[in-house]
Amino acid sequence: MTQKVQKTYESVAWKWMRYSGILLIPLAWIHVLIQDVIVGVHAIDIDYVALRWANIGWQAYDFFLLAFTFAHGMNGLRQVLFDFVHGERARKAWSVALFIFWLLVSIIGTIALVKGARPELA
Amino acid sequence: MLVYLRIFRYNPEAGRNKPTFDTYNIQADPDDRVLDLLEHVKSYVDGSLSYRRSCAHGVCGSDAMRINGQNALACKVLVKDVGREITVEPLLGLPVLKDMIVDMEPFFASYRKVMPFMVNDDIPEDGRERLQSPEERARFDDTTKCILCAACTTSCPSFWADDEYVGPAAIVNAHRFIFDSRDHAGDERLNILNDREGAFGCRTAFNCTSACPREIHVTRAIAEVKQAIVA
Repeated sequence: MTQKVQKTYESVAWKWMRYSGILLIPLAWIHVLIQDVIVGVHAIDIDYVALRWANIGWQAYDFFLLAFTFAHGMNGLRQVLFDFVHGERARKAWSVALFIFWLLVSIIGTIALVKGARPELA
Repeated sequence: MLVYLRIFRYNPEAGRNKPTFDTYNIQADPDDRVLDLLEHVKSYVDGSLSYRRSCAHGVCGSDAMRINGQNALACKVLVKDVGREITVEPLLGLPVLKDMIVDMEPFFASYRKVMPFMVNDDIPEDGRERLQSPEERARFDDTTKCILCAACTTSCPSFWADDEYVGPAAIVNAHRFIFDSRDHAGDERLNILNDREGAFGCRTAFNCTSACPREIHVTRAIAEVKQAIVA
């Protein structure tokens, strides 16, 4: 009767939500503290962003923020949608659509991060 | 004390095709149970009122219903704890057959899915019984208390949204065997629950834990099953 517990998409996604959720606590809070409290949203302009992204440390920080928050949010949205979408085919279609959306935004965000707001500063 | 009682009524066989509420003013003692009020109505006012009840002492689990919006056993809720205005409705998420009687078959189908029975074909060492230490027994003690009343499953928003989700009660009863040292089919049960319609359908709303009349830590049991799946 003994058999191993298989890895499924849902079990991996569940783990991902936990790990990314833990990482989001420092990532998001430090981001909010710096951008909204210390610097202030009105002081943020293209030059500020360009200077920030000229630093590889902030590039990496924002990359992790993008990777973890967006994937975390998209998977959460998938879970919420599945409360309303019940057919197997419809669920698959929504999952694929969300994945493509996630991939596109992540690629655009990563390109922006890597190339910087002002490439000449890099 | 005078109690204003509203009772959900639905009986398509007798022409009551639309759900309505019947209201009664009943003289009750604060220590009366809500079940006593229903018994009074059925015995002295309207014999057609239907609800399930068996032991009437919180053990059989047959009289789970919504009392003032919260799932509970009518035999365990006292009038003094819910006030002078009491509304009694059937459980949510299962088809209503008549008055407070819901079709429990979807609930029991989910229960059967998780193999709620001991699987062990080995012959015990002494040929008679399978011994277990007090610690091994304590590991799943909480989930042995389930009486299958369906109060947890029918309080779960994930279950309301998705009929295919097995629901808290099925996972609790899987937990009871998964963590039993004498059982040999733990991984098989974990594989059954390793799905969106299994343990991962739970969003930790905690409604189940509040609803359980046996005070089982239902959400914790589900979390332990999830952890066992990904371990």
